[in-house]
Amino acid sequence: MKKSITLFVALCLFFSALSMTACEQTESGVHKELEKFSAYSFDYFDTVTTISGYAESKEAFDAVANDALAQLGEYHRLFTIYHRFEGLENLCTINELVDGQHRTVSVDARIIDMLLYAKEMHALTDGHVNIAMGSVLSIWHEYRTIGMDDPVSAEIPPMEKLQEAAKHTDIDHLVIDEQNCTVTITDPQMKLDVGAVAKGYAVEMIAQALEAQGVTGYVLNVGGNVRTIGTKADGNPWTVGLENPLDEGEDYICYLGLAGQTLVTSGSYQRYYFVNGKQYHHIIHQDTLMPAEGFVSVSVLTKHSGMADALSTALFCMTLEQGRALAQSLPDTEVLWVLPDGTRHSTDGWSAYMIDP
Amino acid sequence: MAEKKIRNDLILVGALIGMLLLVGGAMLLFRSEGDMVVVTVNGETYASYPLAKDTEVDILTGENGTQVNRLIIRDGKAFVESATCPDGICASHKPVSHDGESIICLPHKVVVAIESTK
Repeated sequence: MKKSITLFVALCLFFSALSMTACEQTESGVHKELEKFSAYSFDYFDTVTTISGYAESKEAFDAVANDALAQLGEYHRLFTIYHRFEGLENLCTINELVDGQHRTVSVDARIIDMLLYAKEMHALTDGHVNIAMGSVLSIWHEYRTIGMDDPVSAEIPPMEKLQEAAKHTDIDHLVIDEQNCTVTITDPQMKLDVGAVAKGYAVEMIAQALEAQGVTGYVLNVGGNVRTIGTKADGNPWTVGLENPLDEGEDYICYLGLAGQTLVTSGSYQRYYFVNGKQYHHIIHQDTLMPAEGFVSVSVLTKHSGMADALSTALFCMTLEQGRALAQSLPDTEVLWVLPDGTRHSTDGWSAYMIDP
Repeated sequence: MAEKKIRNDLILVGALIGMLLLVGGAMLLFRSEGDMVVVTVNGETYASYPLAKDTEVDILTGENGTQVNRLIIRDGKAFVESATCPDGICASHKPVSHDGESIICLPHKVVVAIESTK
């Protein structure tokens, strides 16, 4: 009799493995099957947002996804430098001049927190992430936009123009009053561009808010800024494929197993335009005022998505040695660099996250 | 007596195996078709196609459906063959076949994603 019971249990295990549906032990002790769902949005941060997660039902998934998207929408309206919204002070209105001066602007606490975080990143990266570079970056943005619309008349910005703008990039002219929740730019020719920080920071804040609600088994992906929340429903890490930035070779450089971590890649292949057949991308070096040239892509795996976003931009502008030293000084932070000739370098702990798909 | 016990055990084991095969068969029968190619436009479901079936279809978007992304499903892989979008990034994207992989056309707000219910 004992034997047949053993056999029965073994067969049950076999079939539960076969059925491959994920189960969750609920508080009442009842097992509920979890299914995977995905949602997409093109509304925020000028990119595509994908939310994937395991839930008991489409309704349960939609509740989480819609909450996340609503929060993303709020961060988008607060952090955008390109759009104004009726009755809302945001990065765009902070940048505006009134009678040739910036106003002292009363803003949402989320803007204060993000700007303080950006200042932290500026200090951490030795100035390679500088949200006060807006005047320089807006010139590149303008030339890139024209060049993409009409490739024949594409030009690179004149260096004198860039150098003149670069005189107005001192982040100390960004005055943040935490107590009164106000922001003032004290150099009239200075502008903020939070492109290297804001999206990752917003993703991190949303992920933390969801985690605080007990949400697990989700992935937020805002334009390649990937943040996992917990594991997959079966307890295994999420598999994130890192696409090969070069045309030659395999489709994916490697697959990484993430459970609560974030992965962000900065690449020269993401936003660019051509002038006389030469490619000019969007990551501008603070010293040369030209697109940084050392790498094709830099991927950062760490815990905080805002950190990953800022760090991937900073490391893209640093040398390999500088970047390695910075990465090694930070806890739980791994980096993969891809050089234009396809050579790859990584921090020592990177391979520990690599898995078979 | 011992023989009878063994016989009863065998009957029980046989019955259990039979039951499990029935349950297993039912599960196979009602299982979803496997991986699907799910197309969404601006976040809304547009259509979905089984990855296992070769298909060629134009995804029409924009006013009067003048924006086109030509989706091909062939040999268990999906790719965008051509598109009328300005950047053509979707058409240069490698074919996708694994759960969670996607091809995205930002200008047309089209997502071609591989989704599995596993």
